[in-house]
Amino acid sequence: MTTQMFGEAIVRREDPRLLRGDGHYLDDLGHDAYAVAFARSPHAHARVTQIDVADALDVDGLIAIYTYDDLPARLAEPLPLLIPHPALTAPRTGHALAPAVVHHVGEPVVMVVASDRYIAEDVVDRIVVTYEPLPAVVGVERAASGQRVVHDGMDDNVAAHLLQEVGDVDAALATAPHRLDLRFEIERSASMPMEGRGVLARWDPDDPRLRVYTSTQTTTSVRAAIAAAFDLADVHVEVIAPDVGGGFGVKIMHPWPEELLVPWAAMTLGHEVKWVEDRREHFISSSHERGQIHDVTVGYDDDGRILALDVRFLHDNGAYTPYGIIVPIITSTQLPGPYKLPNYRVEFTSLYTNTVIVTPYRGAGRPQAVFAMERTIDAIARDLGADRTQVRAANFVQPDEFPYDVGLVFQDGRPTIYDSGDFQASLRKLTALIGWGAFAQQKEQAQADGRMLGIGLACYVEGTGVGPYEGAHVHVETSGRVMVSTGLTTQGQGHETAFAQIVATELGVPIEDVAVTTGDTRRFGYAVGTFASRAAVMSGNAIALAARAVNAKARTVAARALEANPDDMEIIDGVVRVKGSPAEGIPLNQVAVLSNPLRYSFSEAAQAATQFAVPADDDQPPVRDGEEPGLEGRAYYSPPRSTFANGMHAAVVEVDPQSGNVAVLDYAVVHDCGNLVNPRIVEGQIHGGVAQGIGGALYERMAYDEHGQLLNASFMDFLMPYASEVPTVRIDHLETPSPLNPLGVKGAGEAGVIPGAATIAAAIEDATGVPISRMPLSPDELFRLLRSNGTAPLAPLGALGTSIPEPDDQHGGNA
Amino acid sequence: MRVNGSHVVRAPRQTVWEALQDPAVLVRTIPGCHELEETGDGAYTARVHAGIASIKGTYDGQVEMADQDPPNSYTLRATGSGGPGTIDASATVSLADDNGGTRVSYDAEAIIGGAIAGVGQRVVVGVAKRNAAAFFEAVDRYLAGELEAAAAKPAVAGDGVAPAGRLPEEAPGGRVFRAPEPAVAAGGPPPAPLHLVLAALAGAAIALAGVLVGQRRRG
Repeated sequence: MTTQMFGEAIVRREDPRLLRGDGHYLDDLGHDAYAVAFARSPHAHARVTQIDVADALDVDGLIAIYTYDDLPARLAEPLPLLIPHPALTAPRTGHALAPAVVHHVGEPVVMVVASDRYIAEDVVDRIVVTYEPLPAVVGVERAASGQRVVHDGMDDNVAAHLLQEVGDVDAALATAPHRLDLRFEIERSASMPMEGRGVLARWDPDDPRLRVYTSTQTTTSVRAAIAAAFDLADVHVEVIAPDVGGGFGVKIMHPWPEELLVPWAAMTLGHEVKWVEDRREHFISSSHERGQIHDVTVGYDDDGRILALDVRFLHDNGAYTPYGIIVPIITSTQLPGPYKLPNYRVEFTSLYTNTVIVTPYRGAGRPQAVFAMERTIDAIARDLGADRTQVRAANFVQPDEFPYDVGLVFQDGRPTIYDSGDFQASLRKLTALIGWGAFAQQKEQAQADGRMLGIGLACYVEGTGVGPYEGAHVHVETSGRVMVSTGLTTQGQGHETAFAQIVATELGVPIEDVAVTTGDTRRFGYAVGTFASRAAVMSGNAIALAARAVNAKARTVAARALEANPDDMEIIDGVVRVKGSPAEGIPLNQVAVLSNPLRYSFSEAAQAATQFAVPADDDQPPVRDGEEPGLEGRAYYSPPRSTFANGMHAAVVEVDPQSGNVAVLDYAVVHDCGNLVNPRIVEGQIHGGVAQGIGGALYERMAYDEHGQLLNASFMDFLMPYASEVPTVRIDHLETPSPLNPLGVKGAGEAGVIPGAATIAAAIEDATGVPISRMPLSPDELFRLLRSNGTAPLAPLGALGTSIPEPDDQHGGNA
Repeated sequence: MRVNGSHVVRAPRQTVWEALQDPAVLVRTIPGCHELEETGDGAYTARVHAGIASIKGTYDGQVEMADQDPPNSYTLRATGSGGPGTIDASATVSLADDNGGTRVSYDAEAIIGGAIAGVGQRVVVGVAKRNAAAFFEAVDRYLAGELEAAAAKPAVAGDGVAPAGRLPEEAPGGRVFRAPEPAVAAGGPPPAPLHLVLAALAGAAIALAGVLVGQRRRG
């Protein structure tokens, strides 16, 4: 392998296309399609009593109006429960269009099809839906109280309850020298990709075939859901993810109502139909995550070694549980992080509320887990007056203890076994990178200047590359083009680059010859999807295996032509040649020709493969036993269990005591995702993740009022960090290869976001001396904390305190 | 699907009854109706020009009135087919005195197939009700003398006033009633300005059913 691209920090091949506006996103397709708009519930909980369309009929351009009553039987059923779990004892899923009762603001009630989107929206405006509002359940603690119930037929709001325990927590707690009881809260946030969801469907009645373009993280499973809903053969349904402008988890949820309704409308009307989500729809009808409240009891010794950890938490799953209880399971199992917890008990209750559904958002339960764990460690250090890095080091799993079995069942149903890592080495790198040792002096100097600086760190372990499998197909065409396809999707990860690097390396071809296609069921029909930081691990390895198969076949075919031994052959720069005799070789495109014996010639190259051109061994069939025509290979990678990446973040912040504003001055990351396919892409993932982590720490929240109205459902009111709020992120890598897969890689997609809230909280706490136990933390909240703690100056406080009105519960009822 | 409703016509019950049975009246009061051809006692084929923009078209349907109980009630059965799909509707139409006027009530059950069925039942029902209302309003205005006098006299084939056309050949023996051109010039309500609209066939429920027959989503 001289075409060594694996590990090179080459620039992303897709970027020129995407950055110049040459990408094709969902809304760039289907110019002549009918457009869809929805009338969505303005109430969090209500009975639909009447739908009056009379005024809408006058709108020129109206095509169709659908309600629940119009749906065919299969579409009228509840949407699928994608991931059942024995602990999910009261699963509930929504409907494509709401039947009698709506359970959150934004639930679709009426679907309008019109000649264009403007008209569709005009029609929606004229449809009068009459609701009888019902009491709403908002907030996970109110849900837990069970005074009001979200779903008819349930006595409480408990969807699921799960307890896992390692060791004997009660006994260890009883004898622990020290003990703390802590509460940690994380609010709701959401994925917020630049491109929302969208679906375009085309039905060809003459060649009964449904083609669906959808901005999804899983085309094969959307296809399965559509085929099942309409009783179509899988092969008659083609699902394609075009360029996708970000996913961050929200697009792994499926089938969304629109992914069934739009194809149905296209089949019903015999015309292309398209729906593109607008931003408000994304806020109120796509999914959220993060909302959890954790109660922690920890017992530890004089060195800060944790003897017992007892965690009880409430998880807000929103109105329905179509994606099961993946998020709280991940919190439960990833909470131990890099630490040895001989006695660990985690128990969660997943609760219904009249809010948008909760499904994984980049990090998927881990930011909450890391917040609870790392804040607990910091509390121990504080209690003991110990350095925070020392308490961490005292609890680390040691390098010689891998594989390390945490003793819990992970989200994939497999044991949580850390395959590799070196936490001590990572910590050394991190403290060096951020300047941990010298910070105390820096802080003191700043203090003398009246400035409030603080430093914090947080560690995590992340299960990545969950199964069950991915596959890949590598095909060398007679032109020499290497066509690569894998079924999982791309929403910004740089797969066209990273996967091509793998093929270039494994097959020995120039990367320019490699073309990668993802997320197109026409090209590859078996796949799971892009989530859980799994694409590089799963498809990366499948592609490597497929390329190796092609490599072997190319050597076999070429060796036969050159009368050499395949084992003596190598592929260098796209030429299959005899080792040590660079002159003796056949270009790969000619090998592709030879691999497919022909009767008919249509080009000069093809002539070489015709029956009379190839020297025949009359005793052998043209295609040998056990061989297939064509220079192609297909392979699958299915791991025994997840591979666990890890990392540590540290940040320096400055808190403005006058305003409560937090500025992140420095941010350092040490990241271990095994072998790096492309360091530039990994660092890009980390940069974006850190920005999202800072958002989760300081800005992003879903402000629901008690009536279940989302008060900040726009980018005017929902804050995200700009580049101005994110410092330069300094990154160092540690590479402990995974022993679980051929490439030795681990996932890196979510890592950047996971310890963000915990890191920033630790730094703010260090700067102010005020315990930080909930995130996100806005300037006014921090200001109040400082005031109540006596840290903030009094004069401006008094003045401000009288002028800030308390939130008025009378407002914001029925927006 | 089921469609029902009622309207008050400002005329005595007997007068309303007669109007509803009179093809010469019907042809000018049914929204979008071009002509009615009598094919038997109380049976007609209807030619309806329907729709606007891309859904313009002419459609044919068959209508039969039965169970006449003058001036109280009758049953209507309407079938039709065309580009947009098929309709098979039967309706009970009943008349009752109402403050010196007549309340006409209809209760129809319609089976709709083809593309029309694809636009959503609230649209179909909404359009049907709207056209029924337009029809009854036109009947009301006709009986109140509010329609132009010129429109009051239908062009009847065989009376020597039939416009040039296909009449004798295609309608042997049957009388053909035509609406003045254009139908809306008669002063009746214009065809509902709907993309999805339609036409009507005959009588109260005919109007209703015809709406469905004529409904056309695309050309």
